[in-house]
Amino acid sequence: MLHIVDDEEVIRDALMWLAQSRSIACTAYASAEEFLDMLNAERTPDAQGECLLLDVRMPDMSGVALFDALTARKLTQQIPVIFLTGHGDVPMAVDTLKRGAFDFFEKPFNDNKLMDRAQEALAASLHAHASAQVQTRLATLSAREQEVLELILAGNMNKVIADKLNISMRTVEVHRAHIFDKMQVKTAVELARLLK
Amino acid sequence: MSSSERPIPFRFDLPSRRQAARWLLPAFLILLVLTALLWLPWQAQRMESNDRQEQLIADTLWVEQAIRFQLSSDEESLGLIGSEVASGYLSGTRLRERLQTLMRNNREINCIDYVDASGNVQTSTDDACAHLAQSNASANAAEHARQMHTPQYSQPAPIAGNNGPMQMDFHLPLFNGERYLGSLIANYRMDNILDQMVPWWFAQDNEISLTDGDDNVIARRAAGGLGHGVYTHAHAMELTGATITLHTNSTKSAPKLLPNLLVGSVVFLSLGLLWSLWALWRDINRRLRAEGALRQQVAFRTAMENSLVTGLRARDLDGRITYVNPAFCQMVGATPEQLIGKLPPMPYWAPEAIDEYRERFAKVLAGHVTPQFETIFLRANGERFPVLVFESPLVDDSGKQTGWMGSILDISDRKRAEELSRQQQEKLQSSARLASMGEIASTLAHELNQPLAAISSYTSGALNILNGDGTLDPKVLRPALEKANAQAQRAGQIIRSVHAFVKQREPNRETVQIQSLIDNVMPLIELQAHQLLVSIHASIAPALPPVNADRMLLEQVLFNLMRNALEAMQDTLPERRMLRVQAALDTSTGSERIQVSVIDQGHGIADVVAERLFSPFFSTKAEGMGMGLNICRTTIEFHGGTLTHAANPNGGTIFTFTLPVATGNMELEHVAHRR
Repeated sequence: MLHIVDDEEVIRDALMWLAQSRSIACTAYASAEEFLDMLNAERTPDAQGECLLLDVRMPDMSGVALFDALTARKLTQQIPVIFLTGHGDVPMAVDTLKRGAFDFFEKPFNDNKLMDRAQEALAASLHAHASAQVQTRLATLSAREQEVLELILAGNMNKVIADKLNISMRTVEVHRAHIFDKMQVKTAVELARLLK
Repeated sequence: MSSSERPIPFRFDLPSRRQAARWLLPAFLILLVLTALLWLPWQAQRMESNDRQEQLIADTLWVEQAIRFQLSSDEESLGLIGSEVASGYLSGTRLRERLQTLMRNNREINCIDYVDASGNVQTSTDDACAHLAQSNASANAAEHARQMHTPQYSQPAPIAGNNGPMQMDFHLPLFNGERYLGSLIANYRMDNILDQMVPWWFAQDNEISLTDGDDNVIARRAAGGLGHGVYTHAHAMELTGATITLHTNSTKSAPKLLPNLLVGSVVFLSLGLLWSLWALWRDINRRLRAEGALRQQVAFRTAMENSLVTGLRARDLDGRITYVNPAFCQMVGATPEQLIGKLPPMPYWAPEAIDEYRERFAKVLAGHVTPQFETIFLRANGERFPVLVFESPLVDDSGKQTGWMGSILDISDRKRAEELSRQQQEKLQSSARLASMGEIASTLAHELNQPLAAISSYTSGALNILNGDGTLDPKVLRPALEKANAQAQRAGQIIRSVHAFVKQREPNRETVQIQSLIDNVMPLIELQAHQLLVSIHASIAPALPPVNADRMLLEQVLFNLMRNALEAMQDTLPERRMLRVQAALDTSTGSERIQVSVIDQGHGIADVVAERLFSPFFSTKAEGMGMGLNICRTTIEFHGGTLTHAANPNGGTIFTFTLPVATGNMELEHVAHRR
């Protein structure tokens, strides 16, 4: 889902048309506040990934302020931000880039390049979303399970793990089953790919 | 009133001391005169008194001599008779006749008796007298005379048992050998002596008295009245056997000190003199006080006039300068001596404005004064300066007008300040123009951005759809293209409105000095240069011909080029941050052109950048919009010049523009414009 935040109605309309021409689903918001309201509402992250096209200059809450709010919520990885700047905003846009913005485009921009970057951002969003899920699952493992997990990833057999940890084979197998269960994988290969 | 007098210093202690010395001598002299005036009558009185005393003494002596002489003569006559008696030649009636004859010739003798040795009266000139009893004193004298064989006077005394007049007897003892024959006794009444022997003129002026040894008065003659006891004299009479003193006492009183009108008038005049001196002294004192106050006032006024920055000038009714103060002298650069007494034309009149002065001066003479006017005066060094003159009539103490007093304010400073403020105002305006130019460009860019971005997006989207596979429904594209069209219209409108705004102001060509352009831009540039620690060196060739140009546009070109130069040196080492502005006449192309270079030592221009340097919307600056150099070049070309750039051999860039020199016609216009 491509989110467009711009106070200019014409720009919103034109960008939505452009996105649709590239078959990218999109929603437009007339202000930063409107976008924050949507974030605060109960929602499920889009399976296609998310990206925010953000105008720098807006009345009331500016684009930079909204970016700061997203940074505070640690959402800039899951919702990459592409800034749309007018004349004279370039140094500020560069600054936000250093602080984690995905990209910036100066108006008038090359539209298809912008869309290409938006798709990249969507992909990055998906990836970020996935890794965030893995991290969540890892967090549910106990300390002993974590130790076992590392030894599994190192390619050790159950027997070797039991020896190293000075526990019985049976216990290792129970841990292994719990790990596969919590990480939602069925094989060690699958687990290794997930944590790569 | 004389302005040439030096300021009078205050000296308040001196006059009193000097005054005292000044008064000492006359006071002393007056005291001497008065002393003399008083002393002289006193001295005269004393001299008169002495004269009288001496006269009295002389007269007294003379009287005594006369009395003594008469008594001696009586003694001699009696002696002769006595010797004849002693020889027995005279006696009886003959003796009596002889004695009577003697008494007739000498009337001071009262009577004469001849007494024999036994004391019986033999012969007497007067029987009554003979019967008179002799006083004790007379008896003593008779005894004494007989024993001593010498004639004797008795001490005057009244006749025994009688209080009558004092009498004195002269006893002449007669001896024949050693035998006492008897005595001739002449009897004198003391008052008769005075009556007969003292002359009348003396008696008239003096009280004359005879006294005995005990100062008892025995006779007194006071024909002219009693004496006053002022002039007196006493002289003892040498009579054998009698002690008698002659006293004279003048009837004249002591001479009076102020006996006459002369002394009176002298005293009166002296008093008058004293009074008039006192009045004079009082008057002079009053004058001195007034003079002191006046001097103080004059000093105060002089100090006031000297401290004024306003020039003061007084003229009499003929227009002659009678007074100037130092401020006025300083203003026109002349000394008071050069100005006072001058009649028009004045040395400070500017030759070109002399008619104006004459006209005004004629009005002043006619009594029509403009109370306040502005004009131009001339300093001694030929410099003109504007003044504001206030004139008011000068009136003397009797209310008569004697001339005109003018105060003159040098308003060149004020004019200069006005000029300065006007220039600053202009600079402010021009900087406002420069700022508004940037503002317009920025707004323009922002305004155009929106429709252009929208158009771009619509058309890109449309192209995306066209490039997509599958069947295409043209209706799908219609709304997007319609919207793109509307945005293109909007962009066009923005351009037109800016164009209309710019068109409002036609280029206003005038002849302009490059120097004045640079002077106008410099303050703004210097402000920025201070912030960026850049030093500025301007070298403008002297006497450059003017160019025919729009001042404001050229100022913008200069401003842009110089600001670019400053910004190019932001990252330069501070000691190399130097901006040079050079202007010179360039005749290399055959025609006369003014060449202006702006030289920085900044980062220079890369070749890639140089290719697009003058393209619109090309900028190397984050905030730049790429219009500056483009506008600059357009402006210079509009003025028939060129704008080029070259690398600075010392690092940095040189921007140079040339402008054609204004033609002769323009030169004339230029002169006309300056007037």
